[in-house]
Amino acid sequence: MTSTLPAVTAAKVPAQRRPAPTTRPTDRTEPPRRLRSSRPDLLLCGVLLVAILVVQGWNIADYPTLSDDEGTYLAQAWAVQEGRGLAHYTYWYDHPPLGWIQIALLTWIPSLVSPGSMTVGSMRLVMLAVSAVSAVLVFVLARRLALPRWAAGLGMALFGLSPLSVVLQREIFLDNLAVMWTLLAFCLAASPSRHLWHHFGAGIAAAAAVLTKETMLVVLPAVVVTMWRHGHRDTRKFALTGAVTACVLIGFSYPLFALLKGELFPGGGHVSLWDGIKYQMSRPGSGFILDPGSGSYGVLHSWLYYDRVLPLGGLAGAVLLLATWRWSVTARALAGPALAVAVLALVAMRPSGYLPAMYVIGALPFLALVLAGATASVAHAVLRRRRGEGENRYVTGGRYALAAVLVLAAGAYVVPRWYDGDRTAVTADANAPYRAASRWLSTEVADPAGTRVLVDDALWLDLVHAGYRPGLGVIWFYKADLDPAVTRTMPHGWRDLDYVVASPTVRRDAADLPAVQDALRHSTPVATFGTGEDRIEIRQIETVAGGPR
Amino acid sequence: MGIRGDLLLTSVFIAAVSLALFWMAAFTLWWQMHAWRTPEVLASTRFSRPDGGEHLSFSLLLPARHEQAVLDHTIQRLLESTHTDFEIIVIVGHDDPETTAVAEQAARRDPRVRVVVDTHEKKNKPKAMNTALPHCRGDVVGVFDAEDQVHPELLAHVDHAFRSTGADVVQGGVQLINFHSSWYSLRNCLEYFFWFRSRLHLHAQKGFIPLGGNTVFVRTDVLREADGWDPECLAEDCDLGVRLSSVGKKVVVAYDSAMVTREETPGSLMSLLKQRTRWNQGFLQVYRKKDWKQLPGFGQRLLARYTLMTPFLQAFSGVIIPLNVAIALFLDVPVGIAFVTFLPAVTALVTFVFEVVGLHDFGKQYGLRVRLVHYLKLIVGGPFYQVLLAGAAMRAVWREHRGRNDWELTSHVGAHLTASEVIREDVPA
Repeated sequence: MTSTLPAVTAAKVPAQRRPAPTTRPTDRTEPPRRLRSSRPDLLLCGVLLVAILVVQGWNIADYPTLSDDEGTYLAQAWAVQEGRGLAHYTYWYDHPPLGWIQIALLTWIPSLVSPGSMTVGSMRLVMLAVSAVSAVLVFVLARRLALPRWAAGLGMALFGLSPLSVVLQREIFLDNLAVMWTLLAFCLAASPSRHLWHHFGAGIAAAAAVLTKETMLVVLPAVVVTMWRHGHRDTRKFALTGAVTACVLIGFSYPLFALLKGELFPGGGHVSLWDGIKYQMSRPGSGFILDPGSGSYGVLHSWLYYDRVLPLGGLAGAVLLLATWRWSVTARALAGPALAVAVLALVAMRPSGYLPAMYVIGALPFLALVLAGATASVAHAVLRRRRGEGENRYVTGGRYALAAVLVLAAGAYVVPRWYDGDRTAVTADANAPYRAASRWLSTEVADPAGTRVLVDDALWLDLVHAGYRPGLGVIWFYKADLDPAVTRTMPHGWRDLDYVVASPTVRRDAADLPAVQDALRHSTPVATFGTGEDRIEIRQIETVAGGPR
Repeated sequence: MGIRGDLLLTSVFIAAVSLALFWMAAFTLWWQMHAWRTPEVLASTRFSRPDGGEHLSFSLLLPARHEQAVLDHTIQRLLESTHTDFEIIVIVGHDDPETTAVAEQAARRDPRVRVVVDTHEKKNKPKAMNTALPHCRGDVVGVFDAEDQVHPELLAHVDHAFRSTGADVVQGGVQLINFHSSWYSLRNCLEYFFWFRSRLHLHAQKGFIPLGGNTVFVRTDVLREADGWDPECLAEDCDLGVRLSSVGKKVVVAYDSAMVTREETPGSLMSLLKQRTRWNQGFLQVYRKKDWKQLPGFGQRLLARYTLMTPFLQAFSGVIIPLNVAIALFLDVPVGIAFVTFLPAVTALVTFVFEVVGLHDFGKQYGLRVRLVHYLKLIVGGPFYQVLLAGAAMRAVWREHRGRNDWELTSHVGAHLTASEVIREDVPA
């Protein structure tokens, strides 16, 4: 037997002269060293998880409306599964591909069992797994940040049950996957064992998050802050260096990939990472978020339409925590998430920036954590602050009465609104027109393999399964204008097409796409599903006498 | 078809080599960073504070050869030790009157100093220490080199470590300090830092440990039972550790920056090369002696195999890594394969980064000022040091193959060599 000092079990028991962890947040409710073995924690987390899975999973395919982006990512995941490269059209470095590679992995087994299920509606189910992991990670992170159990549960509930979360987390967005990785990075950064390789892992998870959705880059400083706060004086520099190195090296695999393919820099006749980044950076801004009439303002209100509690309450919570930094232990413990919220809010405030609708997804866990933390802070202030041993029992009673009033008031405000929002989510059917259009195109068209049709990305896989030729038979509508490989096959423009499916997305984007516009102009509806703005028309291209078709 | 087939074969081959190198480098890195895994592990690598009781007696062996210049100072410093029960046995050669004179003068001054004369025709360190072993009266035999700077409280700490852990062997830290002397001494110091500060503790924990050449303490009965040191082995220190741990003796390692034995790097690049050649050859000999095969665990045997082969794997990877990257960049292999070829480079890079941080920590621990130029030297010197290590590894294989297993440095000792070049041959790193 050989061993290090002081004993064989050195790694398990704290050593005799182990220096006091001076920088670690100390809170009144020190979390159990092993969360796994804490029955109340498991129970609470488990119950909340079931609730979240039920609310998010029920009716997942029918609400919200299928989004074009979901179709894009799932179709690219399908291309990965089929061995067609990173996309079935030329991959042009619009986003790092890790996101849909993961979707491809997640949907791989279901699509083996039933190939026809590889459509946006049915594959939303895999997002349930992602939501579940993220929700559990929110709970774990809250406990690791020394929040009391009830506050950790509150954070998890806010994260998983807010109507805004329910809507957005159901959708096949890269952001949801990136959030999962980011939360993992935070959890590892706040690892109670402060293991060097946990911190190394945090760096890898952070890199995975960025390679899944590049916007997560702005959250990385918050990961570093969390790691700094949880590190130990003696090992911190190794831990931080390990994390940063791991993150940078994994992150560099993306440009390395481009380099190895000879697509790092722009050049004649090929796409490049450089051009992809240039495109993302130069996307037309959507205006200042508080300027009514700007696109960003509209996006903000689309979020607030679903829920005001989480975005606004979380923002207020972040401000409260940052303001009480000097006095509140909780505020210091939650420095990482509060910083993440602050950074994400500031980035959203850029006057010239482009603000996509899914942007808020990256902020949801931090808003939830910060709001839960602020609630815990307030609860502590009400119940415990300046409470001596022999406090008058009427004063103590008053504290509890005040707490009860606050809880009731908050409940009275939140519960009805969330009930309405979540009821819509589990009952509404927003995708009947899509399903009907898909059914029509699968059954009413005589020769799918020989038919060319422009569709939005959400319907694309449905038609692939119905026998249309992927890529040049069933065509992502904007490729008709933007992808030379597609336009080359349409020498006569709209005349080379048979159908165009005019969904809301197609009608909206056609303004900037002349070929699509022509197709819409030279076609007549043969079937219409739904009414008003949300209707989906299947339009047949007019046959011109003497024309090729 | 032929070309495609060739390409496929090349791809598979370099992917396999890359993955092997990757795992090798990753494991080495993992072990190198052992002490910093958690704050608790780091705390456990230090000596625990002595309880004041001193119950063991020490016999400190001090082999000295043509070291009259430094020997007296070393003895004086050892005599300043706070421990109350120890003897110093200076071992000198019968053909070395200058050193003998210094030793005998010291023995006349202080009854705790004794002199033993080694009369072997061909001399080396293990033979000298074996000569002294029957004369040891202490419970514990300790080994120091003639130029070592030993901390006065070291013995008290070692005493406590023996008693509180029930160890058979206690290995203290040895640290090269003169990192500012040259580019290679910088890397040499850092090698020691990572070895004694971190890696050796892992070996102790896993139950397979190549001991260092000095600041090593062994219970006298255990040492006698093992027949002392192997006089034919070029890395007798490593060999002793391997033999003792293979039969289940408990080895404890402790490192305290205040308590390490301070040494200096070899005086020239050539002497470093020779020293390293000797260690590598010694490692090879230990590997071939197969004592490590008695280790009970498969993992332990694997660790032994790997550790003893490290110099050669190191040499190999130093050549292969750049070659691999070149293949990835210039040969038309699939992107996935090209990616794999970068893996060893990635781990090498991570190792590099940790070395930079290690240098910073080294400076902090020893209160030394590490400047930007030292970090630059560390980085720029990296590849050249690799070349040096590879050269030493190849020399070792060559010499072992030719059956030349004399103590290269000792055999060259003469008027042209100063004492300082002979003495720095101690710990395998």
